[in-house]
Amino acid sequence: MYAAAMSVALVGGVARAVEVEVHVGRQQESFKLSGLPDTAVREAKDRVRAAISSAGMDFPNRAVTVNLAPANIPKAGTDYDLPIAIGVLSASASIPHASGAIITGELALDGKVRSTSSTLGAGVLSAQMDLACVVAKGAAPDAAAVPGARVFGVNTLAEAVDLFRHGLEATPEPPTRANPSSPHRSPDMCDVKGQLLARRALEIAAAGGHHLLFHGPPGGGKTMLARRFASLLPPLTESEAVEVALIHSAADVVRGVLPDRPFRAPHHTASRVALVGGGSGIPVPGEASLAHRGVLFLDEMAEFPRGNLDTLRQPMEDRVVVIARKAMTVRFPAAFQLLAATNPCPCGFHGDPRKPCTCRTAAVDRYRRRLSGPLIDRVDLVVEVGRVSAGQFSATSSEPSVDIRNRVIGAKEFGRARTDQIANAARDAIGAALESGMITARGAVRIRRVARTIADLASEPVVDEEHVAEAMALRNEW
Amino acid sequence: MSGEDRLVEVSGDGYPVGLRDLEDPPPIHVLGQLTPSPGVAVVGTRRCTRYGIDLAESFGHVVARSGWTTVSGLARGIDAAAHRGALRSEGHAVAVLGCGTDVCYPRENRPIYDRILDTGGAIVSEYPQGTPPARWRFPARNRLIAAMSAAVVVIEASRTGGALITARLAAELGREVFAVPGDVDREASEGCNRLLRDGAHPVLGAEDLVEELALILGPPPGTRVVRSIPDGGVDIEELAQLWNISISEVLVKVGTLELAGRARRRGGRVYPV
Ligand SMILES: [Zn+2]
Repeated sequence: MYAAAMSVALVGGVARAVEVEVHVGRQQESFKLSGLPDTAVREAKDRVRAAISSAGMDFPNRAVTVNLAPANIPKAGTDYDLPIAIGVLSASASIPHASGAIITGELALDGKVRSTSSTLGAGVLSAQMDLACVVAKGAAPDAAAVPGARVFGVNTLAEAVDLFRHGLEATPEPPTRANPSSPHRSPDMCDVKGQLLARRALEIAAAGGHHLLFHGPPGGGKTMLARRFASLLPPLTESEAVEVALIHSAADVVRGVLPDRPFRAPHHTASRVALVGGGSGIPVPGEASLAHRGVLFLDEMAEFPRGNLDTLRQPMEDRVVVIARKAMTVRFPAAFQLLAATNPCPCGFHGDPRKPCTCRTAAVDRYRRRLSGPLIDRVDLVVEVGRVSAGQFSATSSEPSVDIRNRVIGAKEFGRARTDQIANAARDAIGAALESGMITARGAVRIRRVARTIADLASEPVVDEEHVAEAMALRNEW
Repeated sequence: MSGEDRLVEVSGDGYPVGLRDLEDPPPIHVLGQLTPSPGVAVVGTRRCTRYGIDLAESFGHVVARSGWTTVSGLARGIDAAAHRGALRSEGHAVAVLGCGTDVCYPRENRPIYDRILDTGGAIVSEYPQGTPPARWRFPARNRLIAAMSAAVVVIEASRTGGALITARLAAELGREVFAVPGDVDREASEGCNRLLRDGAHPVLGAEDLVEELALILGPPPGTRVVRSIPDGGVDIEELAQLWNISISEVLVKVGTLELAGRARRRGGRVYPV
């Protein structure tokens, strides 16, 4: 007898269907399982066998052959316990055929169903393929957060069997709504007093997707400002929110389907794998991909080992991380906006009007040079933060994030609708700055880009001299 | 609180070139910043009309907005209005006093005095700090106003007032004199009407004044690059407060100055070149 059940694997942050084919032959008792890493096969067999008998059903004493297809996509060993068990019971005619649902779940020996990292992926496939999905009860709300998913949560294998015996006639999980007080919600700009320069830079960075570097003494507010950046970005669309949540679930980070842009702030001790992804088993997304469609914040950027920073160059260029493996190449999306902060020197007070710098000149230069190279070349805006800031003692509250975000959204909409034009005088100004050696050719490109965003914020189709002048005053001269 | 001023010798750097046209040019005390942009004096009587005040403010404004320096004497009435207009334009304002640069007379004009210094303008006097105001020092003050300016605009003046003296001195020094025509039977217009009879240019309105001045002084340089950055440098955020404009406008001005080679930015601080 032959039966097939459907399951799911996360590959490069995308949910892919996996077919669980089961054949029960007449030969004497055996259990062959292919399509999983060898180490996982033995354990899967044991759990499935034990769980079926715990559910009060018979594991067929015949030749059972299970194949997970396609073979070449990497699969986590525990995710397929439940679909294998359902497939076996279906092939031995204990339950009706179960090919109409996407199933994921790990089985405990007593038959309990545990959630897997593919739960959200099952929800995504359910919506995409217009099929039901069956997942662990505890994690069912995660899958039900995907718009259009039809989700059934089960506590035990016995419940799953029951569900299939009744032809999936039960009431599905109610759709999960995003929790408005989620811990992913970004703090608000209204808490930031003064910092006019940094606020303006953040607004321009948000409107134009520019990478931004803050430098200045410790305690000057760089981190506080950076943590509020995500609140200036337009919310994720529904499909973007699902995409982002799926990448997070591939890294076993439960995030939920939220409109909030991700904000990732890896510590400078983070490994290369932690930064860009990979790992020894199934490739796992790194911080660059967890920050996809959001913000990657590198605090104390000069403290990151140079080699680790260099690994971020490729994702910044291609907006995707490519992990090549013998069997296949996995691609994780990584379209993040880089926000970086650094002290001006090892002691932190170089150029500070209130406190003297205790570093040698050579040490200051060396520290500064740590940030040179391909990464900093892609930063359009560089702003000093933390001098005595105008208005920092003012009693009036600062502009809240929502007002700034509305301008950002307006600028993005304007930018999509207009054709890019530049006034002759503005082009000449950039040309003259280039000729005088004030800026480099790369610098000219960056200034042109930022000036375009400044014009968009003002709803002006033509980039003029004033837009260029403002871009000059915020330019990267690292 | 006002700071200590500096004495600028006749041969010194930054000495207003116009003053050297005087027969006996005095060294001057300067608080704040002088710039090389041509000065236009906007002066008039203290006993002025509401109409005169409005004109003075409007003329002070267009002169400074055009990139010239508005010069006046910080007196009540027309002088104060001319300064206010200049300050509103974010342009360069200079007040010439008949007392020490640390003495604000009349005291009611203290906000104007402070604001001139805050916005990169200057308080000028030939007298050392601490010198009290005295009537007999005002003609000497008027002499400086006339000589420092490339043109003098008289808004309202009586037949015997100080404004008329300023205008006469200016004419003697070869400066262009403008006067606003007024009702022939009004005391505050008597001085102006006499100046017109004697050959002063009639002023027909603010825009007309700018056009006439442009013929004499050349095209207006505009305010975009006229603001000066204090010598020791200044934090960009402070400029927003100092100039009372948005941070975006400050950045435009800083970038413009940089592009013109007149300022150099280092991090959040900007220095004059
Ligand atoms: Zn230091």
